[in-house]
Amino acid sequence: MMGLMAFAMRALPQLFFAGRKFPEALDRWLRYVSYGLICSIISVTLFMSGARLETAAAPRRALALTVAVIVAHRTKSAVTGMIIGAVLVLVLAWLS
Amino acid sequence: MKAAIPIWIAFAPSSVAWGIAAQRHGLSFEEIILMSAWVYSGPAQFAVLGPLAENKSSLQVLVAGFLMNLRFLPMSTALAPFFRGVKRLPLLLSSHVISASSFIVPYLQFQKERDGTTRAVSTPADGYGNLAFFLGVGVTSFIVWVTGSGAGFGLALGFPADFDEALRFILPGYFAGLLVVEMKGWAMALICLGSLMVALPGALASQEWGWLVMAIGVATLGWGIEQWKLRATKSS
Repeated sequence: MMGLMAFAMRALPQLFFAGRKFPEALDRWLRYVSYGLICSIISVTLFMSGARLETAAAPRRALALTVAVIVAHRTKSAVTGMIIGAVLVLVLAWLS
Repeated sequence: MKAAIPIWIAFAPSSVAWGIAAQRHGLSFEEIILMSAWVYSGPAQFAVLGPLAENKSSLQVLVAGFLMNLRFLPMSTALAPFFRGVKRLPLLLSSHVISASSFIVPYLQFQKERDGTTRAVSTPADGYGNLAFFLGVGVTSFIVWVTGSGAGFGLALGFPADFDEALRFILPGYFAGLLVVEMKGWAMALICLGSLMVALPGALASQEWGWLVMAIGVATLGWGIEQWKLRATKSS
């Protein structure tokens, strides 16, 4: 079902919207919803386990996420940020 | 195909990261390959990983996937005029390999070519030529994505349990990095920060829908303020 929906989103404009321009405001809203959802999922994936907030692990994961974001921003590389964040969270988990 | 090399480089780590995360969420090798090939959308695959692993309602998985895939509508619409004259079947089949990255490279190339030509209207020959260029980028990127997901599954099997904390961090850390690198303007930064913060109270209030509703609410609020500011600027 999910694959079908993804395919529909890609295929329908090719069939019905050829030559038309997508409204700019709607385009921006769709982008913002994607960004909002990704951030929401990042938060839930990192800090929750089922219905429970992982309070013991949350500080080290929040710190690692902050460092990863700063490194990615500075280096303009998401991979570098991710690797440094993953190493940091691992070291902090071993130390605790 | 040369134009696709930066996309391969970008796809390789994210597909491997997704493969690792999917293995850790209990998906089998076949499920990982099938999902990567059939859904072919990193953010959507990421979005449904948690709900799938926790056996949440299929409606929630579908809504999350649908919302993430909505962004393909404007991408596909923007590409459509450049495929003028191409028959429907090749268009339908090729539309499967539209992704955020494989959209940008051909789109910019087609715009550059259009700006450089004196013809006002493109011909069917241009349409097929553009489709060939798009497929060169799209199909090879698709192959990299699916292969990388499988490689990620294999890699995850090799990690000892002590590395769980780092493996859990890989995908959210990578997506956070991607967002930051692509971030433009105040609205996006505020929406990201706001969604990151309100997702937890939302998920605690309703594990199924809270984070989803909060994210849509924050995004719509940010968009509304931006729209209001744009209108105010235009009218002044």
